[in-house]
Amino acid sequence: MRNEKLLKDTSILMYVLNAVIILYYCMIVPATTYRICHSFSAYQFISEADRIPMKPMRMPLMAVMLFFVLWQISFRKGRSSAGNRFPVWSVCAVEIIICVLLIESLNFYYSGIALLVLTDLVNDVRNNRVRFLLIGLLTLIFAVGRYEVLPVASSRTPLSVYLEYYKPGIRMFLSGIESTLVSANTLLFVFYMVQLFAGQKEENERIQSLNNQLSDANLQLKKINAEMERMTEIRERNRFAREIHDTLGHTLTGIIMGSQASLALFDINPGEARKKMETVTQSARDGLADVRQSIKALRPDALEKHNLDQALEEMIIKFQATTSAFIRYEQEAGSLDFAEDEEDTLYRIIQECMTNAVRHGHADYIRIRMSKHDDVLVIDIRDNGKGCSSVTEGFGLRHMQERLDLLSGSLTYGNRRDDPGDGENGFYVIASLPVRKKEEEQKHDQSADC
Amino acid sequence: MSRNENKISLLVVVTVLIVMVVGAWRISGLYNQVTLTIGVYSGSYWDTPNGDCYQILDTAISEFEEQHPNVKVNYVSGIGADDYSEWLAEQILLGKEPDLYFVLPEDFTLLASSGALAKLDDMLFEKKEFHREDFYSPCLLAGRYNGVQYALPHESVPSIMFVNKTLLAENGIEFPGSDWTWDDFYRICQKVTDPENHRYGVYNYTWTSALYSNGASLFSDDGKKCFLSDDKVQQAVQFVQKLKALNEGYTVTSKDFDLGYVAFRPFLYSEYRAYQPYPWRVKRYTHFEWDAVTMPAGPKGDNISELHTMLVGLSSRSRHTDLALDFAVLLCSDPDIQQNIYRYSHGISPLKSVTGNKDNELLLRHDIPGGGAFGNELISEIMSTAAVSPRFSKYDQAMNMAEAAVNESQNSSVSIGGLMYSAEREITEFLNKK
Repeated sequence: MRNEKLLKDTSILMYVLNAVIILYYCMIVPATTYRICHSFSAYQFISEADRIPMKPMRMPLMAVMLFFVLWQISFRKGRSSAGNRFPVWSVCAVEIIICVLLIESLNFYYSGIALLVLTDLVNDVRNNRVRFLLIGLLTLIFAVGRYEVLPVASSRTPLSVYLEYYKPGIRMFLSGIESTLVSANTLLFVFYMVQLFAGQKEENERIQSLNNQLSDANLQLKKINAEMERMTEIRERNRFAREIHDTLGHTLTGIIMGSQASLALFDINPGEARKKMETVTQSARDGLADVRQSIKALRPDALEKHNLDQALEEMIIKFQATTSAFIRYEQEAGSLDFAEDEEDTLYRIIQECMTNAVRHGHADYIRIRMSKHDDVLVIDIRDNGKGCSSVTEGFGLRHMQERLDLLSGSLTYGNRRDDPGDGENGFYVIASLPVRKKEEEQKHDQSADC
Repeated sequence: MSRNENKISLLVVVTVLIVMVVGAWRISGLYNQVTLTIGVYSGSYWDTPNGDCYQILDTAISEFEEQHPNVKVNYVSGIGADDYSEWLAEQILLGKEPDLYFVLPEDFTLLASSGALAKLDDMLFEKKEFHREDFYSPCLLAGRYNGVQYALPHESVPSIMFVNKTLLAENGIEFPGSDWTWDDFYRICQKVTDPENHRYGVYNYTWTSALYSNGASLFSDDGKKCFLSDDKVQQAVQFVQKLKALNEGYTVTSKDFDLGYVAFRPFLYSEYRAYQPYPWRVKRYTHFEWDAVTMPAGPKGDNISELHTMLVGLSSRSRHTDLALDFAVLLCSDPDIQQNIYRYSHGISPLKSVTGNKDNELLLRHDIPGGGAFGNELISEIMSTAAVSPRFSKYDQAMNMAEAAVNESQNSSVSIGGLMYSAEREITEFLNKK
């Protein structure tokens, strides 16, 4: 911020200095011309110059007007906060053209205007290549746009011929002023450029350090995330333990106590023992209901709200949207109205397989086919990923196996290449599950009640 | 922001309007009134009384304005011929120089080399009224610089030799014919010279005057080479030295000639014309009878005079160059207007048809008692063979160097040839230096 202000002040100072320099030339030339005419040395002047000068008022009129336009452009450009009212290149082009015209109108006595324009433009242009192009072009104009260098300029009257008119003392004084002003302009330019590039270096360093901070924070965030996952797991486990302790523990303790009491009463008072056993049964049934309640609390949210069909479709759509893998879902098993534990298992298997296909197999195409043969539901899931070189039971496969075992289902999996009926790249999982109907389940429950 | 934009667009509209109005005014100005300005001096440049440049100019102006009703021609009067160069330089410096102006012979090189004068060749090519062959070629040559025509000749004056007829008669010498040579010249001078009675042969006949009549030139046309050691040049130098030796160390002055003690003096033809007729005749040289003759011919040359030509040039910054050239062509190549030179000035028209005209001869002879030595045939001859001094920007300085070398050679004992060679090399080097 401090740097910006310094740059702006330097730029203003350069404008003022250049205005003074231009005024210097614009006064010297006409004033000397009129003095020469008053002292009848015009013929001698032309003999010495051996070329006719421009009209005396041409320089002041042209130079002051052009400088005013240049200053207006710079000033307005600085003020318009939008900055995109005119494209940067058009501003550059206009300023460079004015610069050249201005040097021409000053009879090529002074080319420091190019430095002024350079400081003015170098701040607008952010592209480094364009910036170096500008620096090259304007430095060239600065170096070449001099009376001594440019062949075109030889048609103009050199300033020295004007100064020749004055006595040596005054001549020295005038050229002293000129060279002081011109050097001051060059010095200011160098100062400006040094400040500009120093400021840029500072900013680059600041951006670098911000970048470092950001990546540190990212790393931290990852750590915290992992920690949080672990914490959640522990909390869940604790909840589980508590739940088991509260429900199963309580019920089982009751059952043990009740059955022991019944055993003791069995010979003394079979009627009482029977009564006790009934209580124990009731208590076991209550316990089962409690367990069911607990498991229900762990069900996937989607299954809680919708039926399996809808829940699966919703999951697939969401998965496609988040991973950009294409999923072909063929449901040929008719109505998917199963017991809750079966639904949960199906839901979890499909979810796990899709996740594995994308995460480990890097697949972008997954086909899920569901079919039913004599109350056995078969889920066939195949992807086009890279498969798995050595199939380990990680990746949740054991989990699936366990879930299916509980429901007396079976699981086969492997690389599609190894499947004789397939042979493509990718991985396949086939899960078979004998399904019960809801009514069946209810019957099953009631039979358990009896 | 929108207020600013309004302001800017207003500014743009106003600027465009102003430009359009000015442009329209300028363009319409071409079809309405155009003012053409002319730079001219008063009196006579040729240092003669009663010369009147304005008379000739006024006639041309009224004719030109008749031909171009939409043009008004102006000039500032009252600038003396002596102040004219400085006045013109001031106008150029201030950027207010006239559209066309008279160019004095000595100013031509500077005005052409500095770019003050417009190049005329292309424009002249399109002017049907202008014919190169109407002019004596030395006159046109006087307006050329670096092979480009920068000015048109308005009036020329050759150098001729004034002769003290009384002094010649006293010595029983016949008046020399117009085809006389250096030998005749030397013989007469030898006869006349009598230092004891303060009688001398010639005043102010320099080796540079002798050059032209020996067919020599000191510099190449492009001003890049000096021929100081050339035989013809050396002959001129030695001839003048020989003449000088007759005076036995005495330096002849103009007063000696005026008092009738000297037989010859080179002069401008204009003075001959101005002072031969009455009443001016009595103003000058009352002590003796005088007339004029051509310059004596050198062994390798002819009776050639140096020609001085008043020129008319166009400003290179004029906005009406075409009209200005029309006027210049009218002024310089219209026989009726050129005719006026014989009435109002003392020079010679650069136009062959005017100078060779018998009527003009009568006009001339009418002024001069006894008819004088110069008829139009002789004048035509002088004009068509006259030499024009070289025109390049370093001429004055190079000439000074050559003069210095010649002076040194006359006062030194070193061999003249070697001295001239080294001077020639030095001058050529100077001419080629940037």
